[in-house]
Amino acid sequence: MESLHTRIRLLWIAEVTIGAVVLGIALAAVDSLLTSVPVAAQAGVVVAGIVLGSAYAVRRYQVWQFDLQPDALYLERGVVTFVETAVPFVRVQHVDTQFGPIERILGLSSVVVYTAGTRNADVRIPGLTPDRARELQDTLRDLAVESEADDAV
Amino acid sequence: MSDSLNRLHPLSAVTYALQHGFVWLWIPVTLLLVLAGVFDPIRAGWIPFVAPIGFLAGVAYGVAYYYRFGYAVTPDTVDVSSGVVARRSREIPYRRIQNVDIKQGVIQRVLGLAVVSIETAGGGDSEATLNFVGEAEATRLQREIRRRTADSRDRQRSRDEQTAESEATTDASELADTGPSGESPSTPVRTPDAESSSPSAGPEPSEPGEPSDTGTNEFSEQRRHPLFALQSRELLLYSFTSVRAAAVAGVMFVFFLATDSIFDYLLTVAEPVGGPADLGSGTVGSYGVLTLVSLLNAIGVTYLLSVAYTFGTYYDFQLGRVGEDFVYERGLLQRYSGSIPSEKVQSVTITDNPLQRLIGYAGLWVETAGYGPDSNGGSQSAVPLARRERVHTFTENLTGVETPTFQRPPPLARRRYLARYSLLAGLIVLVAFGITQVTIFDRWYLAAVVFLAVPPAAHLRYVHLGYYVGDDHIVIRRGFWKRQTTVIPYYRIQTVSTRRSVFQRRLGLASLVIDTASSRTMTRSAPRIYDIELADARETHQTSRERLQTALRERAAADDPGVSVDFT
Repeated sequence: MESLHTRIRLLWIAEVTIGAVVLGIALAAVDSLLTSVPVAAQAGVVVAGIVLGSAYAVRRYQVWQFDLQPDALYLERGVVTFVETAVPFVRVQHVDTQFGPIERILGLSSVVVYTAGTRNADVRIPGLTPDRARELQDTLRDLAVESEADDAV
Repeated sequence: MSDSLNRLHPLSAVTYALQHGFVWLWIPVTLLLVLAGVFDPIRAGWIPFVAPIGFLAGVAYGVAYYYRFGYAVTPDTVDVSSGVVARRSREIPYRRIQNVDIKQGVIQRVLGLAVVSIETAGGGDSEATLNFVGEAEATRLQREIRRRTADSRDRQRSRDEQTAESEATTDASELADTGPSGESPSTPVRTPDAESSSPSAGPEPSEPGEPSDTGTNEFSEQRRHPLFALQSRELLLYSFTSVRAAAVAGVMFVFFLATDSIFDYLLTVAEPVGGPADLGSGTVGSYGVLTLVSLLNAIGVTYLLSVAYTFGTYYDFQLGRVGEDFVYERGLLQRYSGSIPSEKVQSVTITDNPLQRLIGYAGLWVETAGYGPDSNGGSQSAVPLARRERVHTFTENLTGVETPTFQRPPPLARRRYLARYSLLAGLIVLVAFGITQVTIFDRWYLAAVVFLAVPPAAHLRYVHLGYYVGDDHIVIRRGFWKRQTTVIPYYRIQTVSTRRSVFQRRLGLASLVIDTASSRTMTRSAPRIYDIELADARETHQTSRERLQTALRERAAADDPGVSVDFT
């Protein structure tokens, strides 16, 4: 089992912080436009959001694991709902590597594996170094081609 | 090339002309109104003069569109060219075509016209739509294109086999050179399969003759074998026992159109049984009566509309097979005719609701990947309603599944639903309390009767859950109001997930999601085995994964289409 890169926690905490700050700005807007919201409440919401979100991010990092098994890509993730997913290589349609602006700053990258299943069946492995992401992409692509059955949808 | 293109039915010129005429009418009118607001000499009073100009231009465009639209069925492709100013010609190769569907509305049926649409895999839109051809031409096109599609599929298959054979020999020699790492980009895993399939293909006399091959196909593909026809008794039962969400939308629509007269009607009906004389004056009791009467009326009307809708949609439903495709036809006012290629079938579902279970009937649906002519989330009705035993036999013939012996989740799961529904009931009481705070009603605690429904609801949900891990299929049953029993062949599995929420983890339960390539809409989700013990979930998870691999190997070796088309 492979864990994600430790810096992914920073990414998730950064995302939560941005969300909390946006919420704080929204509250400030409500305060000045609609009804008065005490400053303490505003600050409290933002701080609580950041603290809870950070705890969630840390736990999420601890739980997230993936593994290349003989027949499938296997993932374990989820804090509230713990999900174990197997994506058989033969079902992999294509594999992407992606990174967003914050990921780029932190030197991280994601691999997204697409299957022909429902929308939710597109699996994203976040928090990989760009090298590891590219390597994983190549490996998955090779495994997908190797196990390709003559069985299109 | 362009002289060999066929034109649409001449009446489509008329409809195109009128359509564009009425749309284009508005262009100069809007322009005039805008300009009249800006420049003084231009007056809005000129509308009667400019509107006809726009209309005539539209008519001219419509007629031109008709003359510039052409289609042809060539040996390799279906060609469609269109466009008055910017031309677009599209060639659709047969092997990409999934379906050719015919649709006929009421007026079109009177005039003997039909809309033909050609569908390919992927993408929500039709690849080509022929907006109107004559009925006879539509049927001819459908048959012709379907036959050629089947032919190209067969050719592809035999070509695959040949290349697989030659590949097998080259690959084997390459493998001997390079070792098992296999640097060649071709698929080394397929090699043993191809080798094992070639001896079985060898003794067959079909080897040499491609022309004779297509010749026999032409003969057999043309014929349409009836598989199932909905009897009038079944149609009536289906109409009266099924409830359609669309009917609610219809009733809402009518309500918005004629709100006042509907209120008048409801007041008149409710008055004799104790309703208020008008909306302004009334007591708590009389408003209660009015609410009850309105609710009963709404339910009654919705139900009737739903019955009529189902009757109209599934009137004269017929399922047949042409070659490897299922073909169906249905509809009273609007006639649909479409096909389901059997090789695209992902899973099969038996559905029934409490009423249908009571009279011992059920329906059969097949799920395909991505495609649906009336966008039902890729789910097509193969048998709308038939006796339960027949539907079960059909399912077993179609998929080859053995009669399942269902396993149930542990009783612990029922406790979970009890808790969940109690919370829901508590929420309802809370809402009722909220309502009493802002309206004249005051006995909010009456809402507590919903708690009586909690134990039966939890029990009913629980007893209808079940799953069966078969040799070649996994069968999942769930739901009370619309019970679905889905048969998924292992070789159709896309991903397998074991999910455990916080609550499930406390009880040691897990849900297993078996995802197939069937396209789903918002209301449908991947088949799921709910709340089984973690150990069972893990075991089933592992079994499904292993059997997917074995099934894929076996299928590659046997060239098995998976479902058998003659299932009735």
